[in-house]
This record gives sequence, structure tokens and C-alpha cells, in this order.
Amino acid sequence: MLILAVDSSTPVAGVALVEDHRVLNESFINYKKTHSETLLPTIDRIMRECDCKAADLDALAVTVGPGSFTGLRIGMATVKGMAMAVNKPVVALSTLDTLAANVWASEALIGALLDARKNELYYGFYRSGDQGPEALLKDMIGSPQDMVSQARQLLETGQRLILLGDGYYRYSAYFEEEFKEELKAMPGHLSLPRAAAAGILAVNKARMGVFEDPYRLRPVYIRLSEAEYRLGKGEM
Amino acid sequence: MKDIYILGIETSCDETAASVVKNGRQILSNVINSQVKIHAQFGGVVPEVASRKHIENIALVVDQAFSDAGLEYADIDAIAVTNEPGLIGALLVGLSFAKGLAWALERPLLAVNHLHGHIYANILEHEDIEFPAVCLVVSGGHTNLLLMEDINNYQVLGASRDDAAGEAFDKVARFLGLGYPGGPAIQKAAQKGQAGKIKLPRVFLDRHDYEFSFSGLKTATMNMKKKMEQAGELQLWDLAAEFQQALIEVLVEKSLQAARQYEVKSVLMAGGVAANQQLRSLMEERAQSQNIKVFYPSLGLCTDNAAMIAGRAYHDYIRKSYAPWSLNAYPSLSSW
Ligand SMILES: [Zn+2]
Repeated sequence: MLILAVDSSTPVAGVALVEDHRVLNESFINYKKTHSETLLPTIDRIMRECDCKAADLDALAVTVGPGSFTGLRIGMATVKGMAMAVNKPVVALSTLDTLAANVWASEALIGALLDARKNELYYGFYRSGDQGPEALLKDMIGSPQDMVSQARQLLETGQRLILLGDGYYRYSAYFEEEFKEELKAMPGHLSLPRAAAAGILAVNKARMGVFEDPYRLRPVYIRLSEAEYRLGKGEM
Repeated sequence: MKDIYILGIETSCDETAASVVKNGRQILSNVINSQVKIHAQFGGVVPEVASRKHIENIALVVDQAFSDAGLEYADIDAIAVTNEPGLIGALLVGLSFAKGLAWALERPLLAVNHLHGHIYANILEHEDIEFPAVCLVVSGGHTNLLLMEDINNYQVLGASRDDAAGEAFDKVARFLGLGYPGGPAIQKAAQKGQAGKIKLPRVFLDRHDYEFSFSGLKTATMNMKKKMEQAGELQLWDLAAEFQQALIEVLVEKSLQAARQYEVKSVLMAGGVAANQQLRSLMEERAQSQNIKVFYPSLGLCTDNAAMIAGRAYHDYIRKSYAPWSLNAYPSLSSW
């Protein structure tokens, strides 16, 4: 099962080529240039380095959100284009699931947090399962305070809380203050979404035959666009 | 010589479009998914809403372009995409899709300037255009008068200092309560009225250059409406007709003045505003006596479409002027 996984839902541009349980090649770029400039050259390089062509793939995988609206669409449009060119199935992955997969086999409660701007977070809570993270609370949006109160409800006595994602860094001082010794942050190489993790999760999904229709696939924004929101409130 | 089939993709504003064009001339398919009804409820194009629609529609639209053309994906020689100017988030959907498709098919990627595409719509439909030519580009985002040596060389003679012509139509239509999009709304209203009954200024017509300004005309129209309302004698149709005439006369006169100065035999019109019936007929009427030929695309090719993108790209394909995988999209025009 050979899968190319793409993640551009946060400032990180990630591409990984995964064959079953093996990560063959991975790129993680968290530096200046836009996804639009980096993504395809990275895909091209990774595939070349592994002597692979699009036609050799069994499936393509992409993180579908939550995340930056534009970033999500760049990754998804690229993957849709590739999938249609070579008629390959597409596996969709939650960005938060992918992020949570940086933690494996832990007793802690896992909180995956993405910076949603406007003083909000996209977040989800997970526990480690046999096949990776199992969601306790999925695709939420709210203030850091909302997230903290939900974490409190889920935390069992004596349980540690692992927080990761760019949403953690944004409010780390506040979280440290709130959770003190209960809190554990992840080191730099495990704190942001990894395309390799998306690839590994995608292999599992593909084996179970969980694919998306590339025609209908759309990002999971969670948030309405500003204009739709205002229209709904009768402000326009 | 082998036939060249190019797929064009266009998502710079509120139309998701794809088209296959053969040898830069023959349109084999021209699929346009318009979001105009969706944006009408917001009174204008909302960038984020447009981007969301593009990502939902792009795969279906491209697939349709292939099936309408009776071609398989592998039959295509190159993939062309609009990468500037336009709504950045919207452009990025088409650009990213085009890159994924081109890379996986192992075909070259071609970058097309949206405005070059609009101009090329003329060449798609008319075989008898003589160059050099003067070209009037009028759309919601641009008003430019250009001198074209050939299809690859553009010299800017002038531009709008403020609002684009189409933008002025939209704003005035909104102010007069005529609806959105403004161009067709004003054209329809103007047909019921008569230009000349009310007098609005022909801004910059007395200047001997190719600069335009429409914000003064817009303000004059708004003031005129208020004045008429206060006097209890609002003639909405006549006001719409005079606004349209005032704007169009400036476009026509400056275009023909440029044609005379540079001694060209052809005037081309391009962009959404080139669909305006009054602009077309006035330009033809005044050009005729000066022995200048006027060209404009059919209505369907005036508004945004991907056939103009696929057509334009043919000339880059021939020159092997391919785009790199790192190609980016840009909201404004980097150069002509
Ligand atoms: Zn246009």
C-alpha cells in the first residue's frame, strides 16, 4: 500500500511517501515560503527520490481540516488534481487526528490545538488506542478558556494532559498557569502536524476501504465564512 | 504538424471554468460554473465564499471539460491556468489543481495572465485581426488602453486612475437600487430611458492622453439622483442611460484617438464590460467613418471563461515557455 500524504493545513507544508508501516520519505517545511510555492516542488522531489510516479501510488491522502482555509484548499486542490489524473482513490484525514497521532501509547489525555486566530482555537481531545488516537471530542472551536474547561471535564484524577499544536504555543503561558504539573508539552519535532503521521493513518483507513469521492470532497472549515456568518445574523 | 490540445483552468473570481482548446483556435469544450447567484445575496463577490465554491466545483468542471471535448486525460498536451490577477484565494484553487493534474500527467504547466486571456478571446473568434492594434480592456477590476504590436507585446497607453469601468457600473447600480451585477442591470435600465436628457460629465475627454477616471462620474451620478429626488422628479431610467453613455463615450473616443495616433487599423475590446451592447454599437458606429475595424468577443467569451486561457497558452506552449512547479498566484497585475 503506497500512499502519498499531503498536509498544508497549518503554516507547515508536509509531504510524505509511506509504504504500509514504513515512511519512505518525508518533508516538513515550516519556513517563510507559501504553500503554493513549496508544495508541488516538494512532492516532485520526494517522488523522484523514491523513483516513484503518480501512477505507482495506491492512494493519495490529504488533511482536510480544520486549519487555514487557504492552506487546506491548496493541499486539497493539489491532491484532487493528482488523483483525477491517475484515477487513484483519496483518503481524507482530520488535521487534529493527524496532530494527535504524534503521541502514541500514552496514558495522558491528548489535546490537539490549532490556532484559529480571533482568539480562538480549533481543538480536539484524544486518548491513545490500539490503532492510534481515538477522539473523545472532535473538531471543536472555542476560546482557550472553553478548551481549558472541557479539558478539566475530561481529565481523570492523576492523569497528565499533553497539549500540542501551534494553538498550544500561542497560549502556552495561560495553559501552564492553568494546569501546572498536570501539563506536558511536546518537543519541537512532535508538536506540529506531520505528513508521515497522516500517511500512516491513511494506510489504516485505506485498508478498511475508507475513501472519499474526489469530486465531492471539501475542507472541514468548522467556521462559516465571515460573509455567511453576517448574512445569517442579518447584518448584510 | 501534430494537433495540440490544451486544457485551460480559470478560477480568478466567481466562475469555476475549464476548457479544452485545439491548436490555440478551436474550442472543443467550454465549461463555466457561475457563482453569480450565490454572490448576488451578498451584493458582490465575497472572496472566501468564491474560494469555497471553487474547491467544491473544480474537479467536476474539469472532468466535464474533458468529456465534452471527447478526450481522455492522457490526450492533453499541456495544462494552462490563470495565476494573475484576481482574488488570491480563488486563484490558488485553480493553480493548485492545475499543478497536481499537470504533474501527475507529466505534462507542462502554463501560466496565463487573466487579462491576456480576455484579449485572446478576440483572437479565438476572429481570424482577420491586423496587428498592431489598439486594445481596450474593461472589466470589474481593470480599465486599460493598450497598444499591441502582436499577441505577445503590449504597451500600456493609459489606465483608470480610480475605479475600473466595471466597478463604476457595480457601484452606481447598487446606489440606484438596480441590483447586481451592475453592468447588465444598468444596460437594462438604460434601455427604458434616454441619454442626454440629464447631463453628466465626460471625465477626462478633453485631455489629450489615455488616462481615465470614473469616480467623478460616479459621484456626479449620485449627486444628480439626490438632487432629482429632492425636487421630487427622479427619472431613474434616464439617469441610468446618461451614466452609461457618459462612461462609454469616454471609452470609445479615447480608443479611437489612440487608433488614429498610432495609425492602427484594428481596435479590440476585451473584458466583461465589452459585453455592453451600447459600448459595442457606439464603438462600431464611430470607428466606421474612420476606416477602423472593431473586434470584440461574442457575449459568452467576454465574461470569464477558460477557453481564452487555454487559447492564449498555446503560444507559450509553442515557445516552450513553461511554468515551474513553484509557480505562485498574484492578486494584482505584475506586468503586461
Ligand atoms: Zn475577467
